[in-house]
Amino acid sequence: MVNYLIALFAVTLMYFSSADRLITYVKLIALQGLLLCGIAIFGLKEVNTANLLFIVAETLIFKTLILPYLLTRIIRRSGVTKVHRLAMPGFYLLIFSIFGLLISVVLATILINPFINTIYLAIALFTLVTGMLLIVTHKLIISHLIGFLIIENAVFMFSLAVGSEMPMLINVGILLDIFVGVLILGFFGLRLKPHTNELTLLKD
Amino acid sequence: MAGFVLIVIAAFFFPGIILRTKSIASGRKGPGLFQPVKDIIVLLKKGSVFSTTTGLIFQIAPAVTLASVICAMLLLPFAEQKALFSFEGDFVLFAYMLALGKFFTVIAALDTGSSFEGMGASREALFSLLVEPAFFILLATFAMFTGYTSFSVIFNHFFITGNDYVMIYSIIGIYLFIQIAMVENSRVPVDDPKTHLELTMIHEVMILDYSGFDKALIHIGTYLKFALYGSLIYNLIVPAGWNIFLQAGLFLAVQAFFAIVIGLTESFRARNKMNKNPKFILTLSAIAWIAFTVILILTYKLV
Repeated sequence: MVNYLIALFAVTLMYFSSADRLITYVKLIALQGLLLCGIAIFGLKEVNTANLLFIVAETLIFKTLILPYLLTRIIRRSGVTKVHRLAMPGFYLLIFSIFGLLISVVLATILINPFINTIYLAIALFTLVTGMLLIVTHKLIISHLIGFLIIENAVFMFSLAVGSEMPMLINVGILLDIFVGVLILGFFGLRLKPHTNELTLLKD
Repeated sequence: MAGFVLIVIAAFFFPGIILRTKSIASGRKGPGLFQPVKDIIVLLKKGSVFSTTTGLIFQIAPAVTLASVICAMLLLPFAEQKALFSFEGDFVLFAYMLALGKFFTVIAALDTGSSFEGMGASREALFSLLVEPAFFILLATFAMFTGYTSFSVIFNHFFITGNDYVMIYSIIGIYLFIQIAMVENSRVPVDDPKTHLELTMIHEVMILDYSGFDKALIHIGTYLKFALYGSLIYNLIVPAGWNIFLQAGLFLAVQAFFAIVIGLTESFRARNKMNKNPKFILTLSAIAWIAFTVILILTYKLV
């Protein structure tokens, strides 16, 4: 079951490369939260119940509901619905993603050891690559934020790969979530106005 | 041999079912189930008219295209029966038989000297090129999954590998084969066979200069190709060991279901913008690549 969910998680990453609407990104972030919840439930068997409950609540409430809600509000307020026209076309991004997956698998194979699940590690590395690609190839701040969220999902996935050995790492992954939440709330706090184009600006 | 006959039977009904589905979905009375077959009979009775600018290639291309599809049909197994021609790595020949037909269609379009047909040929070649990795990666995944490299043996062993992931690979395979069939047969969302503007055509513009008998051959080839992909999909749904008569019924049911899916897709889905098509097709390869990667890890082939 876990492997089904991980494969689906990888498909959502590929979809990130081919999508060009920000609302699709938000839906994918929510779906990834849901998938990570499933992976945590089915994958982590040696973690104590309280810890597991905390992880599940965090993925379901924070990743699947709160973060997508905040992102949707930012998108609506800013009126920016699509990625910038100067962003790298999805076709090339997709090719980079395919190579990213290849590199991730090779790296995961090199780094193989009895304490780490290879498939978790490969997909976590691929998630990391996708997040970085999104940040490097896109021009909007909101895209960068979504790229950062993907990287943070990668960290979560890494922590799940060694979850049964080091529950502390999972907590670190969750702390990153909260950090991103604060970052997004910061956008609200700053009260960026749509007319000033602050959310539509190119990279400096 | 039974598989070959069943594909031919399915091809008779296939376009009619698509048309009926589309007409029902749009609330029209629409043509009958056998209207496309009747159209082909009419075309077969007519002679062909060739432009003076065309050469031999243009004249032989429809026959070569149909012959290549029929040759590809010979490589497909049905139930526990082996295909008429079966050997290790036969799926490579299967892909390149279909590619040969496409190649002749493309060069025949260029042979006319028409700029419109050249444009269509260029698009068709690009899309075929992009969809090919998806097909090969998918077949490589199945080869890795079962441990065999021939269609007959792959499909015979697909459900008896004892692997827990057979369902997910079945679903991925069905999805990808449906999409590949849509691209290869130039249907929505990549192409629209009903479009009336040459500038937006892909496949239709390439066969504009054909008439009568030759046009009938092209249409027969297209219908057979649909049934061909339907047969691949069937092999991923029904285990090979079941009763042969039950399998024959299920085969026709799967083909009908496939035709209905195409009809519904064409009724409810808009065609892609032309510049979105490469990305759409490459996404298929990306999904196949993920499936391949997962099976690579699960079967410890990398370690």
